[in-house]
Amino acid sequence: MEAYIVKGYRSAIGKAKKGGFKNYRSDDLAVDVIKHMMTKVPEIDPKSVDDVIVGCANPEGEQGLQIGRLISARSLGKEVPGVTINRYCASGLEAISQAVSKVRAGFGDIYIAGGIESMSMIPMTGYKLSPSYKANQENLNYHVGMGHTAEAVSVKYNITREAADKFAYESHQKAAKAIDKGKFIDQIVPVEVEDVFVKDGKKITTSHIVSVDEGVRRDTTIEGLSKLRPVFKKGGVITAGNSSQTSDGAAFTLVVSEAIVKKLNLTPIARLAACSVGGVEPLYMGIGPCIAIPKAIKQAGLKLSDIEQTELNEAFAAQALAVIQEAKLDPETVNVNGGALALGHPLGCTGAKLSIQLIEEMKLRNQRYGMVTACVGGGQGIAGIFERL
Amino acid sequence: MSLFLISLDRLKLCKMNYRLKKVAVLGSGIMGSGIACHLANVGMEVIMLDIVTPDLNDEESNSIIERNKLVNSALQKTIKSKPAPLYHKSFASRIKTGNFEDDFQKIAESDWIIEVVVENLKIKKQIFEKVDKYRKKGSLVSSNTSSIPINLLAQDRSDDFKESFCGTHFFNPARYLRLLEIIPTNDTRQSVTDFFMEFGKVILGKQTVLCKDTPAFIGNRIGVMSATEMTLLTEKYNFGIEEVDAMTGSLIGRPNTATFRLQDLVGLDTGDNVSRFVAENVKNDNYIDQLKDRPEPNFMKFLLKNKFLGNKTGKGFYEKTSKKDKNGKSIINALNIKTLKYEPAIRPKIDFIKATKGIGLMNKRLQYIVEGDTIYSQFFAEYFGQLFSYAAARVPEISDQYFPIDDAMRTGYFWDFGPFEYWDLIGFELGISLIEKVGAEVPQWVRKMAASGKKHFYKFEEGKKKYYNISSNDYAVIPGMESFLILDSFRSQTPLIKNSESVVHDIGDGVLCFEFTGKSNSIGEGVGKALIEALKIAEEENWKGIVIGNNAKQFSVGANLMEIGMIAMQKQFDQLERFVDNFQQINMKIRTSKIPIVVATQGYVFGGGCEIAMHCDGGIYASESYIGLVEVGVGLLPGGGGTKEFALRASDDFFEGDVQSPTLINYFKSIATAAVSTSAYEAFDLNYLKKGRDEVCINTNLNIGLAKEKVLGLAKNYIPPSARDDIHVLGRAGMGVLYSAINEFRMGEYMSDYDVEIARKIAYVLCGGDLTSSQQVSEQYLLDIEREGFMSLLGNQKTLDRIQYLLMNNKPLRN
Repeated sequence: MEAYIVKGYRSAIGKAKKGGFKNYRSDDLAVDVIKHMMTKVPEIDPKSVDDVIVGCANPEGEQGLQIGRLISARSLGKEVPGVTINRYCASGLEAISQAVSKVRAGFGDIYIAGGIESMSMIPMTGYKLSPSYKANQENLNYHVGMGHTAEAVSVKYNITREAADKFAYESHQKAAKAIDKGKFIDQIVPVEVEDVFVKDGKKITTSHIVSVDEGVRRDTTIEGLSKLRPVFKKGGVITAGNSSQTSDGAAFTLVVSEAIVKKLNLTPIARLAACSVGGVEPLYMGIGPCIAIPKAIKQAGLKLSDIEQTELNEAFAAQALAVIQEAKLDPETVNVNGGALALGHPLGCTGAKLSIQLIEEMKLRNQRYGMVTACVGGGQGIAGIFERL
Repeated sequence: MSLFLISLDRLKLCKMNYRLKKVAVLGSGIMGSGIACHLANVGMEVIMLDIVTPDLNDEESNSIIERNKLVNSALQKTIKSKPAPLYHKSFASRIKTGNFEDDFQKIAESDWIIEVVVENLKIKKQIFEKVDKYRKKGSLVSSNTSSIPINLLAQDRSDDFKESFCGTHFFNPARYLRLLEIIPTNDTRQSVTDFFMEFGKVILGKQTVLCKDTPAFIGNRIGVMSATEMTLLTEKYNFGIEEVDAMTGSLIGRPNTATFRLQDLVGLDTGDNVSRFVAENVKNDNYIDQLKDRPEPNFMKFLLKNKFLGNKTGKGFYEKTSKKDKNGKSIINALNIKTLKYEPAIRPKIDFIKATKGIGLMNKRLQYIVEGDTIYSQFFAEYFGQLFSYAAARVPEISDQYFPIDDAMRTGYFWDFGPFEYWDLIGFELGISLIEKVGAEVPQWVRKMAASGKKHFYKFEEGKKKYYNISSNDYAVIPGMESFLILDSFRSQTPLIKNSESVVHDIGDGVLCFEFTGKSNSIGEGVGKALIEALKIAEEENWKGIVIGNNAKQFSVGANLMEIGMIAMQKQFDQLERFVDNFQQINMKIRTSKIPIVVATQGYVFGGGCEIAMHCDGGIYASESYIGLVEVGVGLLPGGGGTKEFALRASDDFFEGDVQSPTLINYFKSIATAAVSTSAYEAFDLNYLKKGRDEVCINTNLNIGLAKEKVLGLAKNYIPPSARDDIHVLGRAGMGVLYSAINEFRMGEYMSDYDVEIARKIAYVLCGGDLTSSQQVSEQYLLDIEREGFMSLLGNQKTLDRIQYLLMNNKPLRN
């Protein structure tokens, strides 16, 4: 039985450690987004949801303790189960893909699927950095840092510092334009965050609302970007300016079966036509999408030219450029509203967030097929093809 | 030596009527911000004020952030400058900022208000008028002016202000230059002057020098004369500027910025302003008067006219070009003072310099320098003749006695010797003849001194350093040094132990002092032998404990590399292993000895020196101690128990439920990157020092005295530590973590392949080897694998290359 995406919402994406969500837990954020989404589908009884699938790249600390279950119980009721899944930066898209698969397999009818990440609270390496001694004997690159993989990709695929900086600059420009046009307003759930703090010896209680993506630097220039120092390698390409930002966010979709659509008379917005993953040498993890994209296109029975728009996660400008070049994507159709360099990359949330953004933009442009693709640390790639309905 | 020397010293300060905690710094320029930082260094609560940011629009002028932008950005710029003005970056939180319009009333809370605004009498007087209005009665007020008479600044002020006011002249950078000139006016209360002299020394760690209210006070007055004379002689003898810099740096006990590099550093305009100021304001100064007949050299005029003012304008005497040589280093040009063109700087090869360098003893070297008949000797003979005459003739004009002049030049200009100390080294009579040869005056008091048969400006007697008091015509103890334990004072007594690398003195009250005496205080077999003997004597003959310390610039540069390198190159590995084993065992003996052992450091505390320090019961570290296990630089790991000690300390930091890897990485990084602390405080972060065990003292001269007190304190209730067998190591789990960290360093090209090899050996020792579970091991087990790692690295040609390169070039090789 076919599975349909009926709704999709996300939080604004906060700047990690500096932004509006720096003190706001990602389970709270998920509860806000899911509750809001359910108010938009009054036909569905929240308690009838079969499962909540939560993608999360670092499920420990504040995101540990079965956060998927915590989110389902708090947002829909204790009768509704929840699960945490992890495919690092692809977790959000993987969650949608699992929900769709379950519907198609007939395991259930109503799923909430998406992802979360608080990079403010959980360090990217996790609290206890514990690379394996044995794995390190086999290949040191199993545990190599992401920045170093991007440096390796830039060398292998001849991506220059200039090209990377230019790409980053354009990402900010496109994102600023999209925000100014109000393109994200409909998909973002404004969240009110309580602030209780001590100032001049007195306790103050107040709050602020986060409703706009925080990462865009409108005044950034190519000259400014070109002055930044390489972070990972002496004389390298990767700087803070051409790397994705660390972020906080949550994004969820509602996936239901064809039967439910008919029974409750719902209007589907899209379906996931195909979703593939593939593996590459961990040192070149950034090139992962190049393995996943052809697989997904073949699975969907399409040609690359059928894809009218792509959301390619900008983990690093150098990595994104290498993927565009190697997968032969049309740069004009990639990240039309900017990408993670400007809008942020809340790891486990990103796949779901990009899917929601893609579907909304396809609606505006009246397009049929679009793709979400991302590289994944450890040497993987993911590509999902959406058909707008 | 009294038991409570230092306590007395503090007591003296406590008895004075002033206790300072809150200080206001008015003016946020380089000097103001630098002083604010140093006050924060010593625990003061500082408020720094400056003018409201100029040229604000209406909206901005309502914003506190905008109004304080000037003062805040000045402070931030200073905090980020190098060398670091703060002992620890967290100390920045002790400095609050504000502006003269909104916050001036806040100085009412200040115990001391120091003015550091622009050198303009009118502006300073306006500021002091406001200070007089807002300050609390009895608070101290001072000016950091370097050129305006202090008496003028006090005019028109209230009586209480005048009595509480004096000059406190810091030198830039305030943290590093130890000179603090104290200039009272006729109205300054004696207790205020006394307080600043003592406070500056004990709390600020400075060399306080009592000055009179004469132009440029002491340091800059002599400094101007010295720089002027050098410049004039350069022209006269037709030397290149590189030649003069090669001659007037470490060769004669001065910083390697020598003459012209120093002028570039300070700024030629700044130097010129001070010189002009002195020339226009001094009276009865024969040297300055005769300058009329010695015109300013053309090259000085050329540089000033073209605003080639030194480092800040990109060129001065030297110019750093954007061109690189074949080794990738920037090509430096030097001004040819004849053609006034910049040409690639040369490394002068002068036989005279080579010959002079070969003379180790400074008195013999200086005598050789001034007595030869080459033009180089003539240059120096003239220079010293003029310097001696000038400095001597300034007494009593700028100071009633001469020793403050030496103090000022040593601590304000980083000279190893002040004028009268040079004179002593060269010899009293030879010095007089140099003066006579240049036709300068020999002041009456020097004649009188000669006539009475006194031939030394300084001498050590009865454990004290004495100077010749010109009014009493006899030697007297230098005041203000009562609390310093100067090891030179013990030279006349027979040491308990003495060999080529170390001396052991009885420093009184049942405490021994173990002093390194080798080249740069390096540690070889001599130190080991003497340490074992000293421990034996101390334990068996009822001594209370031992201080390990010295008065040299550097506590210790570490193991004697020459010795190790030679033996390694001859492949005498058995002998080497014995040497390493011995050093490990000595350090274990220090740790487990029956008596307390406390280290007192200053300057470099490197490698083996750091390992000795870490095995003591505690330490008094002068804030200006630069501490590090730097072995990686020569292709080794700390092999004298240093790596073991880090494993032990990491183990002690682990706690129930701890994830451990961040702690392990933190310890690993210090050794693997050969991290050196930029102050003793920073060494806590690098794990070389431990809270509760080690202490920091601000005044370097107090460290041995305080260490002695710490020994006596510990001795009262001492429980000797035992060798440990409960060190928690992580085995493979830890090595997995560290191998990944090392891989990232390699990928970032911050490590070479050989660095990776060394780092992995360090990881191995820190983790107790490739154990399949975390477990508890003994110190000796860790020492054994540490020694194994050390020996295997020494067997590698790349390590030998590193050692050889460092010995020959004095900088590390990355291979």
